[in-house]
Amino acid sequence: MQAFSFAQSPYPIRDDIPQAYKNFWQRLASPGSWWTGEERVAIAQESRNALICRFCADRKAALSPYTFKGEHSHEGKLPATAVDAAHRIITDQGRITRAWVENNNDEGLSKEAYVELVGIVVAIFSIDEFHRALGLALESLPEPKPGEISRYRPAHISEDMGFVPTVPPDGAVGNESDLWEGSRGANVIRALTLVPDALRDWREIAAAQYLSFQRMTNFVKDDNRSINRMQMELIAGRVSAINECFY
Amino acid sequence: MLRVSAMTTETEIDLQGINGDAASAAVSIDCGTELMAFAEAITYRETRQLIDSRQALLDAGGAAVLVDAAGVAANFQRMVRIADSIGIPVDDMEMEVGQEVRATLDLTRFASAQNTLNPA
Repeated sequence: MQAFSFAQSPYPIRDDIPQAYKNFWQRLASPGSWWTGEERVAIAQESRNALICRFCADRKAALSPYTFKGEHSHEGKLPATAVDAAHRIITDQGRITRAWVENNNDEGLSKEAYVELVGIVVAIFSIDEFHRALGLALESLPEPKPGEISRYRPAHISEDMGFVPTVPPDGAVGNESDLWEGSRGANVIRALTLVPDALRDWREIAAAQYLSFQRMTNFVKDDNRSINRMQMELIAGRVSAINECFY
Repeated sequence: MLRVSAMTTETEIDLQGINGDAASAAVSIDCGTELMAFAEAITYRETRQLIDSRQALLDAGGAAVLVDAAGVAANFQRMVRIADSIGIPVDDMEMEVGQEVRATLDLTRFASAQNTLNPA
């Protein structure tokens, strides 16, 4: 069966949603900037493993995540820092600190690799959440494709915010000129730009699940959606509040 | 964004729906109670609650509303994790509408507020 056919869905799914998911599945299986195709698929698997990890559940309940010791439920295909990062982004993201990111960097999880990992983990989680929300079975992960990583870094980066370098608001030029065309470089858009393809991935998925950058300026109702903007933002706000996200 | 949307459409709303008040969620927002409950069930990972809230939203709004709501919830399950994993601060703390929303919802109680208020 073709990936994301939604043949078993009792509800009609807009065509742009499976198309965005299929496109991401292709990129997920391919070599990225800092992880091979095999590693990228392994990161995706850890995004799923986090939800059934006993250690993650116990650590989430601990007063501090930094004093709690143990081992994650994992596949054994990634370095320990990468497994821990993937799990923590899913189960305890609100307590991630700059010191933790810096310490991971010292232990071999570079900030570039971390950003690409974040992009993969959250994309998989988001696609899976859509399925779980509608009571649909999760899609099988793709077979990795061979090839070399690109080690691509954008030409213009700054360290003016957050835990990692990002492309500055005036830095979306040259190879990065498409990053937020027609929009401004809001911090959340800049977040993953140390690995520009990670932003491109989330941009395409967000355009299908929520709104494109261009359509976000319509605060009334998008013609291609059945819910108006207030309905959308009520959902967005409630999800963000439960996750205790200040941003 | 909810406040901005309400201002744009000149609609009176009650922001406490964001904090889980079902009656507030229903003020001027079609299917507000059902949308809020569905978003909660997804985020809290409560299986029974998810089944019930899915059916309630389907009954109240129909399949297209249910699918679009699932998409938005899934999207923001991702967005919050990007924001907190990268530690990004709020873009403009001086904006009046943002200040009002943060005060009304008491958002500084969240640990991730430190990424904006006291960045390391």
